[in-house]
Amino acid sequence: MSDPSRDEERELVEHAKRDPRQFGALYDRHFQQIYRFVYSRVREQTAAEDVTSEVFMKALKAMPRYQDTGRPFAAWLYQIAVNAIADRYRTQRPAQPLDDFHDLSVAGPALEDLAAHRDEIRRVWALVENLPPQQRTALVLKFQEDMKIEDIAVAMGKSAGAVKLLIHRGVSKLRQDADELRPVE
Amino acid sequence: MSWRHDPELDDVLQDDELRRLATLLSAAERAEPPVDDAFRSGLRRQLMNQAWSMSEGRDSWWRRAFAPPGLAWLGAAAGVVLIASVVTYMTLQPTGGLTRVVVSSSMDGTTGVALQQPILVSFNQQMDHTSTQAAVQITPATTVTFSWESNTLAVQPTNGNLAPNTQYQVTIGPGARTAAGQQLATPATITFVTQPPPAPTPTPSPVPTPTTGPALGERELAPLGGTAAAPVQWSADSTSVYFVNAKGALDVVSAKGGAVTVIAPDGVTSPAVSPAGDRLAYIRGGKIEVLTFAAGSTAELAPAATPTVLGWAKDKLVWATAGGIYTQGDQAAVQLAQLPSTGTVSVLSFSPDGAHVAYQRDQALMVLDLGSGKSAALGQAGAGFLGWSPDGAHLMYSSGDSITVSDPLGNATATLPSGEPSWSAQDAILLGSDTELSQVRPDGSGASRLSNGTYHAPQWAPDGSTFAFFRGGQLWVAIAPPMPAQPSLLDQAATVVSSFMQARLKGQAADAASFLDAGGQQAYTTGGLNLTISGDPSFSRYYILTQEVTGAEPDTARFVVRLVLTHGKIDVSDFEETLTLVRDPASNKLLIDQASAGTHRDLGKGAEVVGVLVTPDTIQVTFDSDLDPATIAGGIVILDATGKQLEASSTYSNKTVTIGGLALKPGAQYRIVVLTTVRDVLGHNVAAEYDLELIGPVAVNHGNGRLSGAPATASPSPSPSPAPGATPAG
Repeated sequence: MSDPSRDEERELVEHAKRDPRQFGALYDRHFQQIYRFVYSRVREQTAAEDVTSEVFMKALKAMPRYQDTGRPFAAWLYQIAVNAIADRYRTQRPAQPLDDFHDLSVAGPALEDLAAHRDEIRRVWALVENLPPQQRTALVLKFQEDMKIEDIAVAMGKSAGAVKLLIHRGVSKLRQDADELRPVE
Repeated sequence: MSWRHDPELDDVLQDDELRRLATLLSAAERAEPPVDDAFRSGLRRQLMNQAWSMSEGRDSWWRRAFAPPGLAWLGAAAGVVLIASVVTYMTLQPTGGLTRVVVSSSMDGTTGVALQQPILVSFNQQMDHTSTQAAVQITPATTVTFSWESNTLAVQPTNGNLAPNTQYQVTIGPGARTAAGQQLATPATITFVTQPPPAPTPTPSPVPTPTTGPALGERELAPLGGTAAAPVQWSADSTSVYFVNAKGALDVVSAKGGAVTVIAPDGVTSPAVSPAGDRLAYIRGGKIEVLTFAAGSTAELAPAATPTVLGWAKDKLVWATAGGIYTQGDQAAVQLAQLPSTGTVSVLSFSPDGAHVAYQRDQALMVLDLGSGKSAALGQAGAGFLGWSPDGAHLMYSSGDSITVSDPLGNATATLPSGEPSWSAQDAILLGSDTELSQVRPDGSGASRLSNGTYHAPQWAPDGSTFAFFRGGQLWVAIAPPMPAQPSLLDQAATVVSSFMQARLKGQAADAASFLDAGGQQAYTTGGLNLTISGDPSFSRYYILTQEVTGAEPDTARFVVRLVLTHGKIDVSDFEETLTLVRDPASNKLLIDQASAGTHRDLGKGAEVVGVLVTPDTIQVTFDSDLDPATIAGGIVILDATGKQLEASSTYSNKTVTIGGLALKPGAQYRIVVLTTVRDVLGHNVAAEYDLELIGPVAVNHGNGRLSGAPATASPSPSPSPAPGATPAG
């Protein structure tokens, strides 16, 4: 994930490492994206709040041990979030339907195509939900959170190559599932 | 759609179809999920507390907040008065480090401080917590816990709440040290005043529903063929509307819509449904025709003189001719009253109860009492009759740019905004016009706009929710929302007391006097009380100690108000005034009718009563200090008028003693006595016995704001539903 003010972030991180009371600035900076990611995975406000609390509390406590690997600080937070979600839903799947989360107000296509296009986006994202968990997480981080593969690798605790493979397999599986579902027009 | 090129995916997705899917996945905009701001800020606070613990190696802010209480030292009152600035500078011993410590609090000097909040004291540098906490002194005596967030000390009352109506003085004594170990030389004091206790019962919140247009469920019912000749008449069950169209035909239509049935084809004036709802009378061709719904038959009356206007007095028909007012006798018409023989006289309307007639005599609007035969003039020349209240006890007429509400004797009771009014059985008055519809209570309160648009001659149905009106040559019906709930009698009285006290606080004696009736004025002139209070200590604030409804006919409320006198920033004494408010029958306003004052009491000498809540079975006495619970039983007693102590049980919690198991008689005299055996948590006894006289409250607070003379319930008795339009008369 690109951040135009990486130097500033590095400084904030250094401050927070030395004095945990400076963590507030990092929280303010990253709350929204982490909460959004968590919410998109657990799809329920109370659960999203629980997990988000856990993520930032863990991050704060681990702050003194945080090592800057050159990747954005957010990648580390995503990593904690991915693990927290996995812990929470080790045995269960999110219950809510996906349809209402992705805002389908896309820009670009001609008006007459828009409805069909939106419908297609909705269907594709619905299919993402059926992917194996690792593929699903990789696709969400890539396409929803717009993260770089290197950063996804940090977040998922994998190599960049492994993330690429997950994305490739995930999208290929989507094509296969979409073909099966494609309505006869 | 174009492929948004992501070079990272070039070697991952080499197939066009895979890239197209990736594009679709990327195309969904990220929607922001619902975030509870309270959660966001609460989590931040939690993190900061945790962070603080990590950096200080101590327990968390929240854990400590719930830790066993420490006791703040109660300073001597004299010691507390030393420093009186918003931001206080404490000079350090000149042994190095920062030269000055700045102590500040956003609460310093403020009033109306919320009861559920810690007292926050900020320092401009790190303090030694133990010595600083030990140096905190609070009056009145309060058990507190301490917690720190950075360099801010939060002092939280152990029971959770600050006392209401209380001036707090929080002093950081000279024992406080900085983290560097330097002792402070000079104490600093923060003062603030807390807000009144929350209302015992929530005031019903008004539900204004201003809307525009179709939200009223408007429905077009029938064409009028031009301008309607008379206001519509409703059937008693509110299901049918009788109206005279522009051609003079009397028609009826269901309020739900549907076909229009003609009752009389032309020449109809003055239609009137009988109070029982069983008959409809109207004037046609110089005669009176009476349609009986049940039978579907029309009877005809041919008075000797041509009738001009008709109405009903209970089940009897009444009508006006050029010379007088008549009713049906057994054999022939009987004259009820004569009309003036001089001037140009025209009868306008019979009251719904048939007891009065509004008429015009030249330029004057007059009301004739059919019982006495006497007439009274209404308003100024040129006043125009606008309508009656459903019970006939009041009428409305135009006067300049407004509407006057008056009784039939011409005593004005209220002024309303201008418009075409209709008064409902529920005492809501609709005001129609070319451009808007509004609603107001008969006393002029609660005015609110309901809708924009044309609403001519609105006419309430008996059910008080539906109304008919004319718009664009058509008859319409719509539904008006109910008027917001009236403020309770106590709320109304509290508003008067507040206005009265505010005026006195500002030294505006004339304004204050406007809230007094004759009795009240006497109390504040020859009765030894003063409207304006000057001198030092100065009158700085007041609060309502207790309030009760003590009478219903007329509405009566009793308030005990504390007037607090301040020297410098510190409250030094107070005294009580007992005010009795009575609803004035002429103006319908609550005015102060009686007042008396108590003796001055010095403050800062033990626990003080700051609030008393009285219900028939319970009295709650709230103190400014935390009390020693062991001293409460037997220390606070209730006596009846003979001085006999009432048997009661008392409990104590959160500075409040609740005395239960009472059965106070409405209107009976009682007295609360707080004996000097009552002690605060620091062992200080109440300085002097405190007595408060009470009246047994009236159990039901009816809270109505009706005009005097109006009945307590005004719903019309339901009538058998007429069958609309069965028989057109020939």
